[in-house]
Amino acid sequence: MSTLRVMWHAVLLQLALSRRDPEHTLILLIAPMQTTTMLALTVTAHRPDVVANAVLAPGLIGLWVAALDYAGRIVPEDRWAGRFSPMIATPVPLGPVVAGRVAMVVLVGAAAFAESWLVAALGFGRVLAVADPALFALAVAITCLATVGTATLLSAVLVVSRARDVLQNSLGYPFYILGGILVPVTVLPGWLHPLSRVVFLSWSAELLRGSVRGDARGWPWSVAAILGLGAAAMAAGLWLTRRYVNRARREGTVGFA
Amino acid sequence: MEAAVHTSGLRRTYSRRHRDPVVALDDLTMTIGQNEIHGLLGPNGAGKTTLVQILSTVLLPSAGTARVLGHDVVADTRAVRSLVGLVLGGDRGLYDRLTARRNLRFWGALHKLDTRTARRRADALLERVGLAGRADDRVETFSRGMRQRLHLARGLLHEPRVLFLDEPTSGLDPVAAGAFRRLVLELRAEGRTFLLATHDMDEAAALCDRVTLIDRGRMLLTGDPARVGRFLGDRECVDFTHPDPALTEALALLPDVSDVERRDGTGWRVHTAGRDGTRRVLAWLLERDVLTARRGEPTLEEVYLRTVGDRGMRV
Repeated sequence: MSTLRVMWHAVLLQLALSRRDPEHTLILLIAPMQTTTMLALTVTAHRPDVVANAVLAPGLIGLWVAALDYAGRIVPEDRWAGRFSPMIATPVPLGPVVAGRVAMVVLVGAAAFAESWLVAALGFGRVLAVADPALFALAVAITCLATVGTATLLSAVLVVSRARDVLQNSLGYPFYILGGILVPVTVLPGWLHPLSRVVFLSWSAELLRGSVRGDARGWPWSVAAILGLGAAAMAAGLWLTRRYVNRARREGTVGFA
Repeated sequence: MEAAVHTSGLRRTYSRRHRDPVVALDDLTMTIGQNEIHGLLGPNGAGKTTLVQILSTVLLPSAGTARVLGHDVVADTRAVRSLVGLVLGGDRGLYDRLTARRNLRFWGALHKLDTRTARRRADALLERVGLAGRADDRVETFSRGMRQRLHLARGLLHEPRVLFLDEPTSGLDPVAAGAFRRLVLELRAEGRTFLLATHDMDEAAALCDRVTLIDRGRMLLTGDPARVGRFLGDRECVDFTHPDPALTEALALLPDVSDVERRDGTGWRVHTAGRDGTRRVLAWLLERDVLTARRGEPTLEEVYLRTVGDRGMRV
């Protein structure tokens, strides 16, 4: 069975779990409020040129929050529930299971894009026209893929961290800023630019805005950067997860019981 | 025939900050034959779960080797995982909010079963463990006995040849525990091997071909549960029935008698010091027309208590 097949079954598992316990869909309640706040600021500041930023930002934040929130919980919850031991005793590595489950949650987070667009249209009468819909759809799709890869890495990092909650709670704004979600990277101090280039969100935000305006020059590079960074994060996440599992087997920290 | 399980000099320690490491298994060498039900007995903290976890590749040993059907649990992890099934006891270990069927299908995928096979086996196992009628109910609505049967079904999904059961009947009522044991015997008849870690002496005596008693990570004894009495050396006993307690009061005063205990109704067990003592006690009883007297074997529970000792709540 391929890794993709395991991931698919993990997606189905998460879908079933989410239907029973849809707590991570709370992000879909927050996204409209974020859109409202940001749009209200742009409207009162008479800045129609940044409406696209105000509509796209909650979508990207929704993706990030969904992935970050859930990525850090999957393995600890399985350990607490006594599922980790039997899971390790199967021939399938843990990494693809985590990635599959995160993927399902990320798909839910992606719905924040649609919500945000609807809030702008229905609440503010600002219908955000997308100049290049095909590129926009591609940008959303590859951003979701990269988010899954990054969330898999974050899951492993959070699990090995002794301060999981602190780390999880503090990984929001740094990535909103470095990812150019709230404001374009170009307005950030120059010394932050190299750092923001290794955050896939910065490429995603640029590509999404470019596809909305219809001036996404050099978009293949952006696509390659997003996919490359996402793939690198996924590879690192799978490797770190395997190391974590081996460490747990070596140190005897597989379960809490 | 190759052993189902063989360990040699197996050792497992757990590190602790600023303190000496805990030794969970210490130089454990044991062999379990194929198609055997082997009981693993010992008090809390004896190392039973650690051994089960090492054999099922969940834990790595600190030293020594462990092989399952000839495959090393460290070097050949993948092969071992396809050959063994891990069945945990207790309420945990399943996705409580999902149905029994959904749980089994997911675990089938983790054992690399294709979708059709996973569905077919899940349905067949649910039928076999008596959960077909509750297959589409959430696990959180299950009793402990039902969860336990689902644990067993999960452990059987990939048709393993060796099953490790860690206190599988812990907390079950006698009816549910009995049904579970019958299922284990059925599965053994199909050629499977079992390592059963348990606290339940009756269960071990009823199910197991051999038992191993471990404490503080070391093996204390191994053998047929019906004959483990010989491990108590000179401690023998005589069983008899007699309606008059005055007889047993007189018997207790004999120098060869260390203890007299009432078993049930008019049944008594006399503990004697050595074979000569047994002979003299039997003669003493025959002189008084107690024709039911016969030499007895200490039960597995007596052996356990004598070997492990009474440590109360300490672990």
